[in-house]
Amino acid sequence: MIADGLFLACALLAVVGGVMAATVRNLFHAALLLGLCLLGVAGLYLFLEQAWLACVQVIVYIGGILVLILFATLFSSDITGLVQRRHPSLLAAGGLTALLAGGLALRLAGAGRTAVDARLGAAGPGRPTAMTGESATIGDLLMGDWFVPFFAAGVLLTVALIGAVATVQRYRNPKAEVERV
Amino acid sequence: MSEFGPDHIDGYLLVAAVLFAVGLFAAISRRNAIGVLIGIELMLNAAALQFAAYGRFTANAQDPQGQTAAVFVVVVAAAEAAVALALLFAVYRTTRDIDLEQNRELRS
Repeated sequence: MIADGLFLACALLAVVGGVMAATVRNLFHAALLLGLCLLGVAGLYLFLEQAWLACVQVIVYIGGILVLILFATLFSSDITGLVQRRHPSLLAAGGLTALLAGGLALRLAGAGRTAVDARLGAAGPGRPTAMTGESATIGDLLMGDWFVPFFAAGVLLTVALIGAVATVQRYRNPKAEVERV
Repeated sequence: MSEFGPDHIDGYLLVAAVLFAVGLFAAISRRNAIGVLIGIELMLNAAALQFAAYGRFTANAQDPQGQTAAVFVVVVAAAEAAVALALLFAVYRTTRDIDLEQNRELRS
């Protein structure tokens, strides 16, 4: 009973936070609401018995990416969104595309659900017994089956970081400075 | 028909579908680059949630394949956020604003 209530609370937190983050006018509020949504999804990970993933979600998403986004809102001259209204044609296009994509996602979810039901039968999901070896198992997987994606992710992160630094760097070449002005 | 609870996959898939649709809406309709970034993060989060849900509801729930896939989504999101913010910073330094519509530099 309590578990059902908590699950509902997490799902509502994720959905309401996500919807408000997408629609609210103030960008700073939108970023904070994104944090609420991420927190709700972290709770859902706990219900999926994936505590390690929930920790990663809180540390990387809320602690890292969200702070970066909050920092970036300071660049905007129009944080409150009062000056720039969203264009009606953009709203219509976005709404239509989102409805189509949402319908498609629900359709796929229905198909996935039937597949899951067929695989598991009426018994429901098997309860994982031990949570202790979780990170060790993931480490084994990363170094085994998932080695190539793991390596590619490492290369991607390195390239992204170097690219970000190179993009932001102010060039010291005096000729380039003159050209920029 | 649908069972909305922690022990059935329906709830997770529903939340993921809603988050994806809403993120797509934000990514298309926002005029500010940060709003677009928030929308993309919502979509990536929905994808990770689906990975985790399908990984949990398999015959062998001890095998954390879905969890591992979700970690890669987080990695991609982190790399994307870093590059996007670097681009924002570069655009801001030249134009003093990050409005996507009024920015002539980014228009072809």
